[in-house]
Amino acid sequence: MNSKFLYLSNLKTSFKNPGRMSPLLNGVFISLAKAGSIVIMTLLYSSCNKSNDPVPFSPTPYKIVIPYGFPTKLNIPDNNPMTEEGVELGRALFYDGRLSGRTDPDSLISCSTCHIQGNSFECGINNPDFIYGFPHGITGKPTPHVMLPMINLVWNSNGYLWNGKVSPQNTSLLYGNIEDLVWMGIVAEHEMNGDTSQVKQVFQNIPSYVEMFKKAFGTTQISMDLISRAIAQFVRTLISSNSKFDKYMRGEQQLSAEELRGFVLFTTEEGGDCFHCHGGDGNPLFTTNKFYNNGKDSVFTDPLDRFGITGNMMDIGAYKATTLRNIELTGPYMHDGRFKTLDEVIEFYSKHLINTPYIDPLMHHVVNGGVQLSLQEKSDLISFIKTLKDEEFLSNPKFGRPAKIPGL
Amino acid sequence: MKMKNKFYSNFGMFQKFLVQKALYILAIIVVFALVRCSKSDNPTQREGKIEFNFTQYNQNLPLKYDTMIYTNEAENQYQVSEIQYFISDVKFYRSDGTFQLISQDEDIHYVDTDIPETQLWQVTDPVKAGNYDKISFIFGISEEKNQSNMFVNPPERDMFWPEALGGGYHYMKLNGKWLAANDEIKPFNFHLGIGQTYAGGVINVDSITGFVQNYFEVDLPNSGFSIKNGDTLRFEIRMNVENWFRNPHIYDHNYWGGMIMQNEEAMKTACENGKEDVFSFQELLNINEQ
Repeated sequence: MNSKFLYLSNLKTSFKNPGRMSPLLNGVFISLAKAGSIVIMTLLYSSCNKSNDPVPFSPTPYKIVIPYGFPTKLNIPDNNPMTEEGVELGRALFYDGRLSGRTDPDSLISCSTCHIQGNSFECGINNPDFIYGFPHGITGKPTPHVMLPMINLVWNSNGYLWNGKVSPQNTSLLYGNIEDLVWMGIVAEHEMNGDTSQVKQVFQNIPSYVEMFKKAFGTTQISMDLISRAIAQFVRTLISSNSKFDKYMRGEQQLSAEELRGFVLFTTEEGGDCFHCHGGDGNPLFTTNKFYNNGKDSVFTDPLDRFGITGNMMDIGAYKATTLRNIELTGPYMHDGRFKTLDEVIEFYSKHLINTPYIDPLMHHVVNGGVQLSLQEKSDLISFIKTLKDEEFLSNPKFGRPAKIPGL
Repeated sequence: MKMKNKFYSNFGMFQKFLVQKALYILAIIVVFALVRCSKSDNPTQREGKIEFNFTQYNQNLPLKYDTMIYTNEAENQYQVSEIQYFISDVKFYRSDGTFQLISQDEDIHYVDTDIPETQLWQVTDPVKAGNYDKISFIFGISEEKNQSNMFVNPPERDMFWPEALGGGYHYMKLNGKWLAANDEIKPFNFHLGIGQTYAGGVINVDSITGFVQNYFEVDLPNSGFSIKNGDTLRFEIRMNVENWFRNPHIYDHNYWGGMIMQNEEAMKTACENGKEDVFSFQELLNINEQ
């Protein structure tokens, strides 16, 4: 009898009278019984042991509701899932002036010192602390570029900062995601110029913060990693999806005749031709999050352009296409803040593009100097762009300073 | 030995219970295995897999980007920066004229020269074993399927074709530059999608009288193949870039300029060239035989 038949024969016998097994199966089930008893005893022991522990760590998942037409793919790293507790902690830290590790009232600086909600989380062009909207750190050292709005970042997987230095695609562990941007902001000389040991110690000494970290991350040991994770979670909640244009797309509100004319200009190649880089009815983020040389210069000396990251010659003078949401609040414009007003920006795209070997092909209007808009067209286009202002985002209390910051 | 016997007696009932359960599970596994065996023996269920490798060539050599080394039939020197396009509704035709359409779950495929992952499409749907005469596909997206806002995520999302110009998605963006008169380098956006007709020829959205579906079906030449049970065949779909500008119409960048989204005549010319001989086919390998 070959082994296959022996196996079937044993099986047949066992089915007829399971209490009387063949020697072959007998050994197998004895082992099974032994293993089962060990498992049961282990489970009993561990359950007894657990009953002595405090309530286990179980944060509440934070759910991002995808607005109409928005991407479903979110940039949330696996090692930092969003939780209600994490977001709450991140919000408190975002607004806490002790984030640099200093507690003297004269040296407080937080994320919100520069990232101001009412200015779409930029410093704003009329901010008395930052002349013409050019930010600088606590030491007075200016930032390499002007600010980018902190808005809908949870949908950006194509790199942060003007040159995309911080990107999930990076192999470098230092510059991968929003978490790393937080860390960079805390220690950078042109931002908080903080000391990580002091930062950790400041919050470790505040019992209500320790409790918040425990709820958010299951540990009372505060680290820079957890501080960064918490703030990144909060930043990912900063979603703008309720501008007049959003309401128009949802059929809730009509645009004026002037705004509609501007919308057509925005999304037509023979008009302003803005949509290829800045989105539109098919891309409500109003940016592709890609990098373009948009024809501003003929000489390129900035080592922190996209070329500085990729080394690709076609990235010389290229920078991120910014989102146009709330753009009327986020001047000055371009990476170096060369334009103070939207009128100046539109005038540039209309008449003053510069052709170089590095200009992006999408800037094909350069052969005419620009898109050549009339005064009326410029006015219409700006009217449309202003429909991207989201008042709800700018005043949403969930994004604002918490009523109570631990230890204050 | 004595210890062992005692152990058995203590666990006698438990042992009996385990035996019964385990045997039921074993029986179920055997039944499933038998059913599976009988299925794979059914000749009508024999099938293989298909993969498409998308490539871009110019003058029979792999396309080089961002370098002004090409000359088209209109004697324009030109360079290509990037190509992004959709193909859809791929069909495998049998000799009796019937065909297998790739599953409607993956009926539209996006190719991007900047994103390597888009250049290899491992088709999920199995293909029945047998002989096939040809492969065809839609270049772009058919009118029925080309619906605005169906792609919300990048990179496909960024192909949207504005609602004012007909909506849906670009069939293709081929961006580059050409050398114009006086050695001026001019960018061109060879973008194809839904065209428009304008009253009185006035290029203004307010004067649009209708839209034109410019997508077209490509019958890949010499694309017959045989596939056996268990095969995984990899095919190359090659875009011969120079042919967009060559046959049957000579496409002159100096004449058509840098933008054609609102120029139906230019898009029609380009699409007629596209249908002719832009795409070619090659069977690369049977992966299971490697």
